[in-house]
Amino acid sequence: MPRRTRPRDDAQRRQRHKEVLHAGGGHRGNDFRCVGCRLTVSVVAPGTAHRNHCPNCLASLHVDRRIPGDRDAACRGRMEAVAIFARPDGEWMIVHQCRSCGELSTNRIAGDDSVVALMRLALKPLQDTERASRTLLAL
Amino acid sequence: MSNTGNTLKIHTFTCAWCGLTVTRNAADDSVRNHCPSCLHSRHVTDHVEGGPSDCEGRMTPIAIAVLRTGDWMLVHRCVRCDELTSNPVCADDNQLMLMRMAVRPLAQPPFPLEALGSL
Repeated sequence: MPRRTRPRDDAQRRQRHKEVLHAGGGHRGNDFRCVGCRLTVSVVAPGTAHRNHCPNCLASLHVDRRIPGDRDAACRGRMEAVAIFARPDGEWMIVHQCRSCGELSTNRIAGDDSVVALMRLALKPLQDTERASRTLLAL
Repeated sequence: MSNTGNTLKIHTFTCAWCGLTVTRNAADDSVRNHCPSCLHSRHVTDHVEGGPSDCEGRMTPIAIAVLRTGDWMLVHRCVRCDELTSNPVCADDNQLMLMRMAVRPLAQPPFPLEALGSL
């Protein structure tokens, strides 16, 4: 996918309007491409009604503000998974943080999210063995 | 500058959850915003607009996020308005509470952990 790095100047000819397939949920109406690994991801996922992250690398895009799907944020920055927390009912949630504005958001994991990526994220705080041994000594 | 009584006042706040009186300045000269004992905080700064927030709700600690540098950040969520914030952990925070929060997801895995052995 080509990425535009500089803004379009007006001297450049604008793209001619075409009848496109993605009008009305056709081509690419129900999927998005991951900003992290460029995987094409369907928004229909088992176990969640609001898939917003890539099942392979768990990255997301900062497009929604408060309600999932409101498309209210103007940031469009990349949101990286920073933490896992378990809700009281045992559901895992991913905490995303926007790389460009620092905003945090949470999303439920989906049934087809990569088990390895989820476990890597959940085990991240325990990588530092020095802190774990300090906690044991404090007991 | 005249040395009035205000400059010598020690800034403290009372924890919204356990009622502990906490000094605002931690031992390592950082500003503390959560209780070192139970890690609860209070929603007083608005992180979207900046400046003070009028919510004043209690913020519960929900997760530990790890920075690239290896430092731990504590993610809080406001129980009143669901706002999320992250703050660095202090040196004198309750290590047991922090570790408890870090391993809580592992106690309730959404998939059988035996499946990882076959990878």
